[in-house]
Amino acid sequence: MENFNKKLEELKGNSTNPFSVPEGYFENFPTRMQEKISSKEQEPAWIMKLMQYVKPQFALGFMIVAFAFISIITVDFILSNKNDSGLNNELYTRIIEVDASEFTERHVLDVLLEEDKKTVEKKKIESDYYINYLIDEDIDYGTLIDEL
Amino acid sequence: MSDYSDKELLDLFKDNEKRNYAFNLIVRKYQVKLYWHIRKIVIKHDDTDDILQNTFVKVWKGLDNFREDSKLYTWMYRIATNESLTFLKQQKTKYLLPIVDYENHLKETLESDEYFNGDEIQRKLQKAILELPEKQRIVFNLKYFEEMKYDDMAEVLNTSVGALKASYHHAVKKIENYFKED
Repeated sequence: MENFNKKLEELKGNSTNPFSVPEGYFENFPTRMQEKISSKEQEPAWIMKLMQYVKPQFALGFMIVAFAFISIITVDFILSNKNDSGLNNELYTRIIEVDASEFTERHVLDVLLEEDKKTVEKKKIESDYYINYLIDEDIDYGTLIDEL
Repeated sequence: MSDYSDKELLDLFKDNEKRNYAFNLIVRKYQVKLYWHIRKIVIKHDDTDDILQNTFVKVWKGLDNFREDSKLYTWMYRIATNESLTFLKQQKTKYLLPIVDYENHLKETLESDEYFNGDEIQRKLQKAILELPEKQRIVFNLKYFEEMKYDDMAEVLNTSVGALKASYHHAVKKIENYFKED
């Protein structure tokens, strides 16, 4: 180790720097650096300062917007699921529009059965209307198939 | 130019009308030392040039807040060292290279570098240094080539003098083994 330390010192003493630089590099570097600094200085400083100030507010704003967006999506999803349940607002009103004393399980079933009956009748009326129309216009099954 | 002490340069920089002039003097005073410090870490001239510019830009931006707790030159060396290490880390991530492969890449760079004029023994020494872990390599370079005092090195690398002495000792030992094996 001692010998090698001496060898290293000799090596350093005998040799010049093995690396080199392009000609004129160190002479030109301060000027290049000054130009770079000047161009940095000309960047609108107020934008940089504004960005520094605004950055945390951006993050906070983004969080608020993201939270609002997720809330709206969630509420919308819940409401759309409720509408698919088959019991619309009108039906609820009819179920609960009786006095508390009359409100029994029987009453709820009556309202629901009546609603079903209405739907079936409505469909029947629609079917009758189409059948009558086809008879009046003398359109038979074969014509319908041809047209489709 | 070299007559100005660091203290005088800092005082000059604080004067708004003279700050550009003061900064120019700081660049002229330290560009060579910092260049060689960076060059020995990243090897290639072009990379060194980029890192040196970034170093001085950071010096420019940081000088207003420089509190003079440490010496100006050790502070600048610390910026240059951090910039160089960040560059090496970026290169490894960029090319997805493990450490060993990246050291090999640096050795190849040494072979093909048009700005390396050393003889065979100097090339061998540089290759042996490239075998060292990054931090140990920096310690060896600062001590051996730049003859920096351990106290100043401790400020640059934020390490104790004892740890630095041990690190240098291990580095020399490894280089000796490299010479023996090769």
